[in-house]
Amino acid sequence: MSATSQTITHPARRRRRRVRLPRGLLTLPPTFYVVALLLGPIVLIALYSVNLRSQYPGMATAYSTHNWHDFLRGPNNPFRDRFFYSMKVTLLVSFGTVLAAYPLAYYLAFVARKRRYTFLLLVLAPFFTSYLLRIIAWRIILGNNGVVDWVLWHLHIVDQGHSPSWLIYSTFSVALVLFYTWVPFVALPIFVVLENMDRRVLEAAQDLGANGFTAFWRITFPLSFPGVMAGFVFVLIPTTGEFIAPLLVGGPNNYMFGNAIQSLFSSTADWNYGSVLALWLVAVVIVLMVVFGRYLSADLQEREAT
Amino acid sequence: MRRMDRGEFLKSAGLFSGAVLLSGCGSGSGSGSSGSSMASHPPIGSEPGNLAILEWGGYEAAGTKAQKYWKVPGKAYTDKFGANGITYTYIVNDSQALQKASQVPFDIMHPCNENTPDYVSRGLVQPWDTSLLPSFGELNPFFVDKSKVNGEQYMIPWDWGYASLTYNKDHVDPADADSWGLAWNPKYKGKIALWDGAASNLEVAALKLGFPEMDNMSSDQLDQAKQALIDQKPLNKFYWQSEYGDMQPALKNESIWIAYSWQDVPPILGANKFVFMDPKEGRLSWFCGFMLGAHTKNYRHAHEYVESFINKKACVDMMNIYYYGTANSTVQASDIKDETLAKSLDLGNPQAIAAPDVHLQSWEKNRSAYDLAWEEVKAA
Repeated sequence: MSATSQTITHPARRRRRRVRLPRGLLTLPPTFYVVALLLGPIVLIALYSVNLRSQYPGMATAYSTHNWHDFLRGPNNPFRDRFFYSMKVTLLVSFGTVLAAYPLAYYLAFVARKRRYTFLLLVLAPFFTSYLLRIIAWRIILGNNGVVDWVLWHLHIVDQGHSPSWLIYSTFSVALVLFYTWVPFVALPIFVVLENMDRRVLEAAQDLGANGFTAFWRITFPLSFPGVMAGFVFVLIPTTGEFIAPLLVGGPNNYMFGNAIQSLFSSTADWNYGSVLALWLVAVVIVLMVVFGRYLSADLQEREAT
Repeated sequence: MRRMDRGEFLKSAGLFSGAVLLSGCGSGSGSGSSGSSMASHPPIGSEPGNLAILEWGGYEAAGTKAQKYWKVPGKAYTDKFGANGITYTYIVNDSQALQKASQVPFDIMHPCNENTPDYVSRGLVQPWDTSLLPSFGELNPFFVDKSKVNGEQYMIPWDWGYASLTYNKDHVDPADADSWGLAWNPKYKGKIALWDGAASNLEVAALKLGFPEMDNMSSDQLDQAKQALIDQKPLNKFYWQSEYGDMQPALKNESIWIAYSWQDVPPILGANKFVFMDPKEGRLSWFCGFMLGAHTKNYRHAHEYVESFINKKACVDMMNIYYYGTANSTVQASDIKDETLAKSLDLGNPQAIAAPDVHLQSWEKNRSAYDLAWEEVKAA
């Protein structure tokens, strides 16, 4: 082999120069997204909340915490009362939804077997229709001379034209519609956890003499608890800002905190007060995320440690 | 305790996201926008013709899919230019209308007169060229004059009417129905629906409390009006948002007996059963009209559209179908099928809307205080 031929290298084997992008560059799009679309608007509403911006033409803008003071400390502030009412409804709905979703998830994971994904699809089928239409359908079901009213009348439980006042435009109707909306969403994380559970521990429990209830209570439920918490958070956080269901089936006395925010921004130019309420809600959601996020992040840390 | 691992979390989050996407699939919305400001106005053929209109539900042009009732208003426009280019964005009250108009540019808006100065001061509108509206000369001079700001014709008046309480006389004692206080009568708890009409309710409370300047209340008076509405709230079944979607069906199926309404309800639902109250404190009155977007690219289209509403035939049809008054003063009582309506609107009297026993809704200098007061009522 001549010296010349030794210097020839096959093009395919030629070592390519790899262009390395700085790792930080890859984070630019999400960073831009977070700054421009999340932090930016929050800064804007923070400016509105302290009266450094205004939607009213000609209104003087100067730093003021009056709206914050009024919301947090003002006597009998209706928006603050509405917040506590909303939290009450939110907790009621969140607990109720988890209680109802658990048996559903359990059935899908342990009983439905091969048909579980078919059933899952059926559970999700109503979501092919828009949220708004589903709530309007509930108005027809719960409304005066509606389906429930008609049944109660024909069963002689109520007289015609005297439908129960709690059936619609009540806390009951708001909670019921939200409950209906969220049950499938809560069932999903619980189903995933149960589905991935190591069934051998249940067999071991039975071998050691545990009956069905004991095995469920001491093995299945504790193992599925992270899914329960995830589902609980899935309901808790969006429901704190909910406004569509209370608007359509809540009536005048069952508006939620989200309605006050929506109305201040969309029906009035008082974005200053609306921003106070919106920021307060953001703060509450962050606190909820920190509290409940521990159940998810602690596990990730454990995994990484092992 | 076993924690949810990363894979499980991602899987459930994926399923959750999928479900959220599915739930969003069925929904849709529509609104439009126009373009930049123009110093001159090219011929109509050069305009895009995609009118974006801020409108009340039910007021769409005849010939559009959304319009099921009247046959003439807007028909001349849709016959000439088609209906596909028109996009409507809907409003439920005037405060919301102003907010929407401030956020999205529209070619045409349909607010009520008391809001006109707010649209002008925010730079949302421009004056109309009345020479492009052949029927403009037929409009009631009282309305025309009231629709000017700084001497310019910012609004083309079209519809007007009264506001009061309509009640079902099968259930409400007529002896109770001589005052706005009917809405505060505990005898009818759970059978009343006021409008989610922001300042309108504060005006009603002002009339009930005997305050002479309902649109210019002092802060103490405003507090009293707010408290009166908070006291009334438990008697209310709901605050209605849509006349045809909420209020009229509820009156019809008797889930409510008393509602804040306009004079059109008894003729529509049956004057043998429903009465439009004449309160001793006086009715409210209002008129609305069309405003032209400040930056519309459809300047001439907008004029054609409005002309198709204000001509006499369109106005007669609107009155006979919707039972509102019209700004077109050539409409005679003989054109109106419902004699009671013609009489109650006092056709022929150009200033009927501002009669001594009627309170014409007007601009609120302290609008922000009114807005916040109403929000506090709703939140209370």
